[in-house]
Amino acid sequence: MKTILPAILLGIASAALAQNPVIRDQYTADPTARVFNNKVYLYPSHDIMPPAAQQRQGWFSMEDYHVFSSENLTDWTDHGVILNQENVPWGRSDGYAMWAPDCVEKDGKYYFYFPDAPKSGRGFAVGVAVADSPEGPFIPEAEPIPGVMGIDPCVLLDDDGRQYIYWAGGPMRGASLSSNMKELDGPVTQMEGLPEGFKEGPFAFKRNGLYYLTFPWVRKEGGTETLAYAMSTSPLGPWDFKGIIMAEHANRCWTNHHSLVEYRGQWYLFYHNNFFSPRDDKRRSVCIEKLAFNADGTIREVTPTMRGVGINKATERIEIDRYSSAEKAQTAYIDTVTPRLGACVTLQGKGSWVKYEGVDFSCLDDAYLTIGVSAVENTSLCVREKSAKGKVIARIDVTVKSENGTFRRDMSGQWLTLTAPLQHTPKGITDLVLTCEGEAISVDWLRFKNRPRYFTEVAKNASPAHPDSQGFIRRWRMMTPIAVDVRSNVVFTDTWLRSKFADELAKLPKRKARWYTLDSENYNVKLFRFAEKYGKQTYGSFFWCETVIDCPQDIANVRLACGSNGASMWWLNGEEVLMLEGDRRMVEDDGMSQRLTLKKGRNILRTAVINGPGLSDMCVRFINEKGQPVTSFTVLNE
Amino acid sequence: MKRLLTILSIITCQLSIVNSQTGAPYIHDPSTIAECDGRYYTFGTGSGGLISEDGWSWHSGAERPGGGAAPDVMKIGDRYLCIYGATGGGLGGGHNGRILTMWNKTLDPKSPDFRWTKAVEVASSDGMEDQDAIDPSLLLDPATGRLWCSYGTYFGTIRLIELDPKTGERVRGDVEKDIAIDCEATDLIYRNGWYYLLGTHGTCCDGVNSTYNIVVGRSRSVEGPYIDNVGRDMFHGGGRMVIAAGDRKTGPGHFGRTVINEGVEVMSCHFEADFDMSGRSVLGIRPLLWKNDWPVAAEAFRGGTFEIESERRGYSLELAVDFVRMEQERQRFWQIDPNEPVKPLPNQTLEEVIDKWPEGNIPVRCSDYMFRPWQRWTVTPVPEAGGYLSAPYFRIVIEGTERALSATADLEVTTVPQFTGSPEQLWRIEQLTDGTFRIMPKSIPGREGTNTRYVLSSIADSTPTLAEYDFGSDNSKWNLRNH
Repeated sequence: MKTILPAILLGIASAALAQNPVIRDQYTADPTARVFNNKVYLYPSHDIMPPAAQQRQGWFSMEDYHVFSSENLTDWTDHGVILNQENVPWGRSDGYAMWAPDCVEKDGKYYFYFPDAPKSGRGFAVGVAVADSPEGPFIPEAEPIPGVMGIDPCVLLDDDGRQYIYWAGGPMRGASLSSNMKELDGPVTQMEGLPEGFKEGPFAFKRNGLYYLTFPWVRKEGGTETLAYAMSTSPLGPWDFKGIIMAEHANRCWTNHHSLVEYRGQWYLFYHNNFFSPRDDKRRSVCIEKLAFNADGTIREVTPTMRGVGINKATERIEIDRYSSAEKAQTAYIDTVTPRLGACVTLQGKGSWVKYEGVDFSCLDDAYLTIGVSAVENTSLCVREKSAKGKVIARIDVTVKSENGTFRRDMSGQWLTLTAPLQHTPKGITDLVLTCEGEAISVDWLRFKNRPRYFTEVAKNASPAHPDSQGFIRRWRMMTPIAVDVRSNVVFTDTWLRSKFADELAKLPKRKARWYTLDSENYNVKLFRFAEKYGKQTYGSFFWCETVIDCPQDIANVRLACGSNGASMWWLNGEEVLMLEGDRRMVEDDGMSQRLTLKKGRNILRTAVINGPGLSDMCVRFINEKGQPVTSFTVLNE
Repeated sequence: MKRLLTILSIITCQLSIVNSQTGAPYIHDPSTIAECDGRYYTFGTGSGGLISEDGWSWHSGAERPGGGAAPDVMKIGDRYLCIYGATGGGLGGGHNGRILTMWNKTLDPKSPDFRWTKAVEVASSDGMEDQDAIDPSLLLDPATGRLWCSYGTYFGTIRLIELDPKTGERVRGDVEKDIAIDCEATDLIYRNGWYYLLGTHGTCCDGVNSTYNIVVGRSRSVEGPYIDNVGRDMFHGGGRMVIAAGDRKTGPGHFGRTVINEGVEVMSCHFEADFDMSGRSVLGIRPLLWKNDWPVAAEAFRGGTFEIESERRGYSLELAVDFVRMEQERQRFWQIDPNEPVKPLPNQTLEEVIDKWPEGNIPVRCSDYMFRPWQRWTVTPVPEAGGYLSAPYFRIVIEGTERALSATADLEVTTVPQFTGSPEQLWRIEQLTDGTFRIMPKSIPGREGTNTRYVLSSIADSTPTLAEYDFGSDNSKWNLRNH
């Protein structure tokens, strides 16, 4: 089972799936959505590129079915293949004709209806496969349903306990289905009252006592499919044609195929387009829109959107090109050769914007913005709340041409991941608006990220801390770092360091700098992040740290074991016990003091760490004669 | 005079062999050696790379677009996958790095098929994380067929991601995992049920003062934890040394492993500064040994004077000539006067025995090693004869003579009175993963092309021959001992 969790996906395929199309790692078509066990289950066809074995190249090609499920219409779980053409006893193993399916639940069993090419004869037959769970495994019957020759099966469960099956392929037909769900128990009826023109893909349902028959329909000579519907007071018609649910695809994708489902009080239309295969409309992808009924039971026409349905968490990757509305913005495939890389939106200059509705910010804590952009000239853009003049959440300055930098001379036209701090963090669910504040800029995606917590400030009256299970001391009093002019750590010779440490030690009593008492969230104390938060600069910093070790009795014959990035010196109760010289990286137990005694009561451990470039940090513990970490003391916060 | 010339030529050879690799092997962060149409390729930081026809002499000419730092290249199926970091790891910019992959049907820039596909991003760092997405490496896991990538640098963590070996793209839903800290130019390898993470520690890019060195940790799972020889996790900075400075070269970095045959492995790296090449950064290729399932870089083999000892029986390769007894004034042990001072006995000299040797070809055999002149072989590189992956060809002569070991057309070995440089007298000498050597003639008389099949072998305890290389058999293995 493969879980599609948008928040953790990275790279090109990692769209938050609230946007259309909803399934991005494979083609999906002819979606039948059903609600089972309070989840939406999606049973689409699975388009593939025709393999060499398929006789008709360039045609539809479907060899198996997957099922997907979701509780929020945003995160979809792919439960994998539930039926393959090779496992259908009566079907051809090389038919590639596993077209639009349906699945219904009756008395705890799940009945999966599917068309396939029969081993004997021409055209399509419709079979049924049965499972105990909506995710399968589905066991196909030995023979197809007698009398149902065609495609696009759909089953309606009536509230009187009867059930009906509808199918296409020639005139649209329906019949009563026996209670075993596997054979007809009434005559095959041609659906009356439907308009002229090609029709297929029936999807029937009942709402407020009225029967609906919905279907793809070509309304004009030479046209492509719309989604249309008719209503009736009886399940097999005759029908009263009502009109269009969705107009033809703007890009002339010939097919559309759909289902309607009510989930948690909202009706949704599932349909497909060929977004990921713009030059081949036989490779399709499922989309979702909200759908509403008028008071008289008629259906309001649905306009396809890129935004689709569902709320995005701000920490998901939001494909901003799937926007809700825009001004002077243009979408385009990032790579026309590879549509599956998705699209981007270009804001064409000052005054242009895109709006993306429905982003939930309640998941943000200490967050920043990451955004994928490409620009030809230096420019900037703002992410705002609600409107193009709304409060600025973050401002992103995009520098693609800079004067200096060995590796980054000219980045114009390249896709870049940029970050920006947040000036304002919205509360709850709101809409995002990206506004261009300069030259044209293309945006692919954005995502808010919570920063990891590195430190927790320790209250004055906090109880003493313990070393962690590996003996690392995590509670420290740390002084605001002192800026030092060190561009490279290669200067850290013993003589240089001794002089520097002695110098700083002498100055220490007179320093007015602020001290913070912090618990490190990690075994290693990330001085770089401390400097970032509490200091003026991260690189070229000199850190003073102290901690008070309280021992219940003397602990003899222990060694102080340290690692630091970069060089460091360590004092216990005022005595120098260790120095790590040179261009150090932090390594657990990199250096150790000679044998020491931690005396009963309070012991002051002090360190100075100096670092030029690099991610400064340190780890420290005491090790006993057996090489085991010492944990039998507490760490005070004063 | 001829003797002097020989000595001079030996000195010259010895000087050239000091080089890590010959030609113009200037590179930083070489990718794992890739083979394409009989040539070797390695790609470095920047845009270019090196090409070698024989694995010993290298020149520039490989092409890789995209710039940035530290690529890796691997053949998967009939295509080459290149992965590289598009950025510079904090040099002249922040730490928002990008890792990209691209394919090519060939690595030969002159081929009509030479065309890199459009690069696809597979990982990135956003500049705010404790991570910098540069320095990627690839492992196609032979146990599972899955494709892994480690990347990162001194700024934060080393990460593991999974790629799709069919597309080179990130596997959908794959979540990156932190497996180490503070390394640069990592590489993942798999051997014998172990996954190894190799990382470069120390100071980069400081020439003769660079302390760069390559360390390793291992794990039973590709996802780690990667533990070093004292039980320390590489996520806590652990690592066991694989190769450090030495041999007048500082700063080995950016490990790559190449398996030539079973039991014949080399590691590639760069040295920050080669003291014999103006302190330039050069490509290094060293035998890779395995000790208790730990990788160890061996010294480059340079020749010398050795006993060639069979691993099979411990007998010594020698000329099939009369055993010449040495005279010794015997004392029975109970007659020894402890007060009489001891004196050294001289070795038997070449002059004492050489007159008794036949003029023409002398066959070879194996026998008890007695450090006699007919058992002492001088091995010297022959730079003009080309080489193989790691080293030049060598000639093998009886010490102090020109009598050279030679392959024969009927897959036997003999000695010829005079080394002529013909290919059956040139020997490829490679240290195997267990520390022994295989010794292979460059060609077999009467057979086309370069020999890569037949090696000096013990068919019996006393009988050397040429036989197909078999790492599973001690018959294929020899020790070169100077004692």
